[in-house]
Amino acid sequence: MTKLLTQEKLTAYLLDELDDLQRRAVEDALEEDAEARQTLAELEAASQLVMDVFGTQPEVSLTETQRREIHESARGTSREAPPAPSPRPQGTNRGTWAAVAAFVLVLGGGVLLVNIFGTSGGDLLDAGPRAEEVRVADATFREEAREKIDRQLKEQQDRIRTDTESLDGVVDGFEGVTPAEDAMPETDEAEDLIASHTGTDELHPTSYNGRRSSARERALERRRGKSTPQDRSPGTESYSRIAENTFRYPTTDPLSTFSIDVDTASYANIRRFVRSDQLPPRNAVRIEEMVNYFSYDYPQPRGYDPFATHVEIAGCPWNSDHRLARIGIQGRDMAPSRRPPTNLVFLLDVSGSMSADNKLPLLKQAMKLLLLELDERDRVSIVVYASDTGLVLPPTPCNESATIFAALDGLEAKGRTNGGSGIRQAYDTAAEAFIEGGVNRVILATDGDFNVGITDRRALTHLIKQKADGDIFLTILGFGIGNLKDATMEQLADEGNGNYAYIDTLNEAQKVLVDELTATLVTIAKDVKIQVEFNPAQVQAYRLIGYENRILAARDFNDDSKDAGEIGAGHSVTALYEIVPAGTTGPIPGVDPLKYQQSPDAPPSLELSPASWNGELMTVKLRYKQPTGTTSRRLSFPVTDDGDSYACASADFKFAASVAAFGMLLRDSPYKGTSSYDGVLELAEEGIGGDRFGYREEFIEVVEKARSLSSRSRR
Amino acid sequence: MVASSDHATSRADWVQAALERYEQPLIRYAARFTGDLERAREVVQDTFMKLCAADRGKVEARLAPWLYTVCRNRALDVRDKEGRMKPLPAYSQDAIASKGAGPREMASLGEAQQAVTKILAALPEDQQEAFYLKYRDQLTYREIGGVMGKSLGTVSQLIGAALGTVREQLMAGGHLGQEG
Repeated sequence: MTKLLTQEKLTAYLLDELDDLQRRAVEDALEEDAEARQTLAELEAASQLVMDVFGTQPEVSLTETQRREIHESARGTSREAPPAPSPRPQGTNRGTWAAVAAFVLVLGGGVLLVNIFGTSGGDLLDAGPRAEEVRVADATFREEAREKIDRQLKEQQDRIRTDTESLDGVVDGFEGVTPAEDAMPETDEAEDLIASHTGTDELHPTSYNGRRSSARERALERRRGKSTPQDRSPGTESYSRIAENTFRYPTTDPLSTFSIDVDTASYANIRRFVRSDQLPPRNAVRIEEMVNYFSYDYPQPRGYDPFATHVEIAGCPWNSDHRLARIGIQGRDMAPSRRPPTNLVFLLDVSGSMSADNKLPLLKQAMKLLLLELDERDRVSIVVYASDTGLVLPPTPCNESATIFAALDGLEAKGRTNGGSGIRQAYDTAAEAFIEGGVNRVILATDGDFNVGITDRRALTHLIKQKADGDIFLTILGFGIGNLKDATMEQLADEGNGNYAYIDTLNEAQKVLVDELTATLVTIAKDVKIQVEFNPAQVQAYRLIGYENRILAARDFNDDSKDAGEIGAGHSVTALYEIVPAGTTGPIPGVDPLKYQQSPDAPPSLELSPASWNGELMTVKLRYKQPTGTTSRRLSFPVTDDGDSYACASADFKFAASVAAFGMLLRDSPYKGTSSYDGVLELAEEGIGGDRFGYREEFIEVVEKARSLSSRSRR
Repeated sequence: MVASSDHATSRADWVQAALERYEQPLIRYAARFTGDLERAREVVQDTFMKLCAADRGKVEARLAPWLYTVCRNRALDVRDKEGRMKPLPAYSQDAIASKGAGPREMASLGEAQQAVTKILAALPEDQQEAFYLKYRDQLTYREIGGVMGKSLGTVSQLIGAALGTVREQLMAGGHLGQEG
C-alpha cells in the first residue's frame, strides 16, 4: 500500500470526508494499488455491518409530556404573539387550558408545570390554548374535507357502476369491429370486480379507507371521462423526437453513461391515449418512464449510501440469443413521521384553457388530496398565472386547512397564459418561506406551454436551474390534454432538479401526491449518474433501452458540474440493457454487416486488460450527490452473468421486460425482435407479483386494449 | 402584522423539525454520559428548551453541532453533579440496545453484526464517541471536532483507527471473508 493510502485516509474517502483534490489523489492512487483497493473493500464491508447494527437499534424517544413542553416553549418564546385566528368565547378558552394543565399535571407531575410557568410566564397562557384551539378546529375541518372527497370518490364509483351497463352497450357496439375475445372478458371482469369491491374488502388491498378503488374501476372511470370527441384529437400536443439507442460495441464504445430519470408522465399519457381508443404517437413513448411508472421490490439500502443497487441478468424475452440486464436503484424509504418540514409553492395555471373538468377542477381536488397529507410542520402558498400573475395565498401553515381550501376554491380559469413572470413570483415566495433543511419546492400545474418566446424560454430554463442550485426544486404536474407541451415540461423539470408527472384522474393524483408523497417531495440524492463499462471479452454488443434524452458523454460521469437526475425517498429507478454475448453469430438488429473490416462479431483484436478475463460481464458505476451537496460520491459494482434462463427470472424482471417490450411495440421499434402483444401479456401476467396497488393489473388491461386497437388499425 | 404570525409559527415548526430529526440520536448520545435513559431524556429535553430560547439566526446554519455540543455539556454537568463519574466501559449503547431490544431484534442481528457490536463496545472511549457521531448521527468530521473540542486531524485519526479496528477484528474473526 502506498503511503498516501493509509487506513485513515481510506476511511475518510469512504465517508466522503475528503475535499475534491484529496479525493482525486486517492482515486488515482487506488488505480495503481490493488492491496489498497482490497483494504477499501474490506473497510466498506465493515462500514456496512456497522450501519446494519445501528439500523437495528430500538427506538428511544422523549415522553409525550417532555415533547409537549418543548413544543409549548417553542411557541411561547416568540416575542410577537400571533394574532388570534378567530374570536373565541372566554369560557371555552379557560376550559381548554385547564384541561391541558391537568394533563401535564397527571403525566409529568408538579415539577413540569412549575417549569412551564417558570420559563415562559404569561405568554404561554395565551399561546397554549390558542395553538390547541387551532389544532382542534383544523382537525374537524380536515375530517369534513376528507369525508367530502370520499363522497366524491364514491359518487364517481357509483357512476362507474351505472356506466358499466352503458359500457356494455359500447363494447357490444365494438363487437362487430373488434374480435370478441378482446372486448368481452374486459367487461365481465370489470363487473366482477365492481361486484366484489362492494362486498369483501380483503380481496382488494387497494380499497383501504374506502378511498381507493381498484385499478380496473379507475380504468373504467378513465374510459368514462375520456370519451368526449375533443379528447380524441391530439390537438396541438407536441413531443420531442426520440432517436432510439442503437446497439454499440464495447470494443469501440466500452462506456455507456446516462442520467437516471424518475419521471413517469409518459406512461400515464400513453394510458390516456389507449383509453380514448388511439395508439399514442411514437414520440410520446418514453420507455424508461413506462418502466419506472411501476415500483419493483428492490431491497432497501442498508449502508451509508441513500440507495441500493441491484442487478439481475436473464435471457432476453424478445431475442433468445441475447441477454437482458436489469439495473435497479432503490432509494431509502422515509416514514411519513420522519418527513422533513415542507415549504410548497403551488404555481397554478388558471388561463381559460384550464376550465375543462379534467383540468382546474381536478387540479383543485388533487391539491386538496395533497394538503390532507400535510400538517402543521408544513407550509403552502399559492401563486396563479394567466394574463395577470398574483399571490393568492401567502405562505400558510398546513394546519390552517380552511384558509387554504378557501383560496383553492376561489380560483377561476380565465385569461391567456403567461408562465414567465408567475414562475418568478413563485420562486420568490418559496425563497421567502425557505425552510433550512426542509423540502422547498415549487409545484407547477398546467395544461400547456408557457406563452413565452424562445429567448424567454432560455431565460426561464436558466432561472429554474439557478433556483435548483439554491435548493428550491421544481415539480411539474401536467393536466388535461390537447395542448400538452410534453417536451417543454419534461425539460423544465429536469433543469429544476425535479420530477414531472401527468395527472389525468383523481386516482392518479392519489398515486403521485399521496401514495408516493415522500418520493415526489423529498429528494434523497441528486445528480445521480450511471456509467456501465462492458467487458469486450464477454459482451459483443449492448443496447440501453430508453433513456434516449438522458444520455451523457462518458467524461460527464466524473464531472460534478454536469447535472443529472434526482431520486426521491423510496423511489426506485430501473434501466434495462439488451446484451449480445460475445461469440453470438446471428445478425444484430439495425446493423448492416461491414464491408471493409471484419464484422464486429469477430474476436476483438484490441489489447484487453487482465481484468477482462475475470468473467465479469460489466461494471456498474454510480455517482451521486447529497441533496444539498456539491461533490459527488462514486460507487462501483462488478457484475457477473450467471447464465440464468429467462424462466428463472424474478417476477419483477419479467414485468419490467414486459413493459419495455410493450413500449417497443408502441414505437414499432426496429429492436422489438419477436415481441408481440400476446408475448407482452404473457410476460406481464407471469410478472404480476404482489401488485399492491393494482397498477400491474391495470397495465395488462392497457395492453389488451392496445392489442385490439392495433389489430383494428392493421385491418 | 402578518409577518409576526409567520415568525411565531415558523419558529415552532423549526424546533419541531429539529426535535423530529435529532430526538433519538441525542438521547442515545446523552446516554453515553449519563448511563441511563431517564437522565438522558431530561438532558435532551433541556437541550431543546435551550434551542427554543436560542438566537435562531446564529444557530440555524450549524444546528446539528450546536445541539450535540449543548447536549454533551449538559450531560457532562449532570454526570458530574450526580457523581456518576464511574467510567462506563463497554458502555451503555449495548445496555440500551439489549434492554430495549426483544429477542426478535437480537435474532435479526447476524453473527457478523453481533461481532461488530462487541468490537465497538471495546473501543477506547474517544474513538467510540467520534465513531458514533459519524456513523449514527452522520455529523461531518468538522462538526464532530466542534462538538468534542478536537482538531479535524484528531477526529480523522479517531474514526480511521476505529473503523480500522472493526475491519481487522472482523477479518480475524472470519466475518468479512465472503464480502472481501
